[in-house]
Amino acid sequence: MIKLQELTKDYGTTLAVNKLNLDVAGGEIYGFIGPNGAGKTTTIRLMGGILAPTSGKIIIGGFDMAKNPVEGKKMIGFVPDRPFLYEKLTGMEFMRFSADLYDVKREIIPQKSKELLVQFALWNWADELIEAYSHGMKQRLIIASALLHDPRILIVDEPMVGLDPEAVHMVKDILKELAANQTTIFISTHTLSIAEDLCHRIGLIHKGTLLAQGTLDELKRIAKLGEARLEEVFLTIIKENTFI
Amino acid sequence: MNTIFSLLRPRILSGINSLRQGNKKNNWARIFMYSALGIVFWIGTFIIFYRVLLYFQSVQDFGNILAMKLLSMIIMTFFTLLLFSNIINCLSHLYLSYDLPLLHSLPVSSKDIFFSKWLISAFDSSWMIVAFSLPIFLSYGLIYKANIIYYVTFLMAMIFMCLMASAIGGILVLFGAIILPAGRIRTILILLGVIMVMILIFILRLTRPEQLVNPDSFASVVLYLNSMRTPNSPLLPTTWITDTIKAALDNETKTCLFNLALTGTFSFMLIFINNIIAKIAYFTGFSKSQTTPRRLFAPLKYKGSNWESLLNFLPRESKAFAVKEIRTFFRDSSQWPQLFLMAALVTIYLYNFSVLPLNNLPIKTIYLQNLFSFLNIGLAASVLSAVSARFVFPAVSMEGEAFWIVQAAPVLTKKFLWIKFFLYYIPLVILAEILVIFSNLFLQVSPFMMVLSTITIFCLVPAVVGLATGLGAIYADFKSENPVQVVTGFGGLLFMILSFSLIAVVIILEAGPVYYIFMTQLRGQSLSLMLMAWIICSFGLALFLCLLAIFYTIHLGGKSLLIK
Repeated sequence: MIKLQELTKDYGTTLAVNKLNLDVAGGEIYGFIGPNGAGKTTTIRLMGGILAPTSGKIIIGGFDMAKNPVEGKKMIGFVPDRPFLYEKLTGMEFMRFSADLYDVKREIIPQKSKELLVQFALWNWADELIEAYSHGMKQRLIIASALLHDPRILIVDEPMVGLDPEAVHMVKDILKELAANQTTIFISTHTLSIAEDLCHRIGLIHKGTLLAQGTLDELKRIAKLGEARLEEVFLTIIKENTFI
Repeated sequence: MNTIFSLLRPRILSGINSLRQGNKKNNWARIFMYSALGIVFWIGTFIIFYRVLLYFQSVQDFGNILAMKLLSMIIMTFFTLLLFSNIINCLSHLYLSYDLPLLHSLPVSSKDIFFSKWLISAFDSSWMIVAFSLPIFLSYGLIYKANIIYYVTFLMAMIFMCLMASAIGGILVLFGAIILPAGRIRTILILLGVIMVMILIFILRLTRPEQLVNPDSFASVVLYLNSMRTPNSPLLPTTWITDTIKAALDNETKTCLFNLALTGTFSFMLIFINNIIAKIAYFTGFSKSQTTPRRLFAPLKYKGSNWESLLNFLPRESKAFAVKEIRTFFRDSSQWPQLFLMAALVTIYLYNFSVLPLNNLPIKTIYLQNLFSFLNIGLAASVLSAVSARFVFPAVSMEGEAFWIVQAAPVLTKKFLWIKFFLYYIPLVILAEILVIFSNLFLQVSPFMMVLSTITIFCLVPAVVGLATGLGAIYADFKSENPVQVVTGFGGLLFMILSFSLIAVVIILEAGPVYYIFMTQLRGQSLSLMLMAWIICSFGLALFLCLLAIFYTIHLGGKSLLIK
């Protein structure tokens, strides 16, 4: 569903992503981990069509994002790391706005919006302006709106930032359920326990280069560690700069 | 004092770094453009004031009175502007800046934070007024052959005036923030300011200066000039500043020093009071400003269909953008005062035409009425340029950090820009046509001029709106604390220059042909082939320029918004 080929992003002063190759299958939860400034958010933004690559290809559901971005974007539900929204719209109005952009069937919009807002504990705030929402509420609204058009691919940057433990638990369950229904999920995160709990495969990026990828067991083998937590694997690979 | 300097350092360093970083070539172009415009404006102001004062000197008896009355009016205007600008700046710097939560978490007293922010606000509010007061006071100095003491005292008086206005602004804002949350006082103060300006405009308008063309009203002007001899209230600080400058011009050192000392001590006393109040009240007000203000109007339960159904003819995603744009525009309370001001300007614009004493003019001709109508096209388009600068140019930047939604959405950026264009074009073209058609009716112009004005405006408005949309996208700032202010940057300046140039070129291209068409009509002659070819070329070129302004700038804007 997601294919990155020799993906490179050079900001001029920084090489944020360097010849990245990735393949994520349908129904897979792929965790993207790495230290600060490793190139995680840049990769996510490239995949979401918010940044253009310097070179390389991004294929989303068979669509080349350089040639057919609109079709590619229709398949994606995008959740950025910082919840910037239109502050002067209400939660419900924002849901409708998203539904219109992603061409959700008109007749199901009210019901689907309500379901999602209830699920994310925002229904009581549906008619309040977003400017009155807390950081966590905004984050929940973005996730809710990203799920409105039943995306086949969900790209999430730091999904748990600003969420309370209850919401974290709920989001985890939702992501697992989506993956079970063949939705591809690409998550970038700092929270290694989340990657450990959720992801089928994990990619480790450092200084724009993918150092290692695989299941947790495969990563342990790469790091030459026996029974270890992802944190130790992460630190070992980063320290030794182990390549795939 | 060290703490205050440390608190000021980020601002100073940011200024220095912004000059150092980025595209140096572009920076120099920017500096050159600003300097050139500043110098032109500076020289222009100097020439105008020098000539006016020179003329006053030639008027026996009244000349000096007029010059001094003008001086006191200038001081009064500057002081009002300073006060208003300080209130707005103080509010932003003291209660709404993004860095305030960080500053308040630091181990520094809120009094120090207040003082450093107040200093920045005082500088931001004053430097431009001081800079542009220089040519005015230089012309006074030259006309009155003043010595060096005049220039020194004038500069000191100006500095004291800025400090005074800043201190009063600070005190007002401190009190306001205790009574109301900062999110609301900004709206209320802006509204009050706009209402004040509107009242002033109406009062000025209702004095009917057009009566001056009527010789019968001259007796009242003499009476008016007599009333000018009345001195201003000695309790007003502006009187002390005016008296300082007047005394310096007349070489009355004692009076000059006395008034200067009065101004200086008063400003320092106000700063002292300001600091005492800040020590007691600033943190309380800041704390209040951190809560979200309650909505002014109760929220409506979502119904789905109401006015939105009027936009059903639009494609789905276009309608979604249009609805979002309309909602966010009208819910943003900072837009309301501007709308009131615009309504006042339109009313006055039309009122001006309705009271033009066409029957009392010594040169009453059809020619003059039609000339007015022709110039009116330029005037209406210029008004529209100013309105576009305020509303259309910042429209893309208004998306702010939420612009990722547009980028991530399955919609082409160019389409998003065209939606913005049409959303502003439609109301603005209606407004412009109302201005032109009604003013033409008041002027009783010929049918040809009526058709010409209507068509020209119909072509000029989209060109101006297109320029504003395109350049607004090229120079978009999605991270600005106040997106409306992007128009005060380089892009806004470029838009104003290009927009006024386009209007001027279109008017010039039409002026020749219109004159010949009008004169041949008046003489009952027919147009020669050569003349017709010239007219077609001229009008064609004007239309081409308008189309170029729309399509090329929006194309460039769309390109610049493309993901990079």
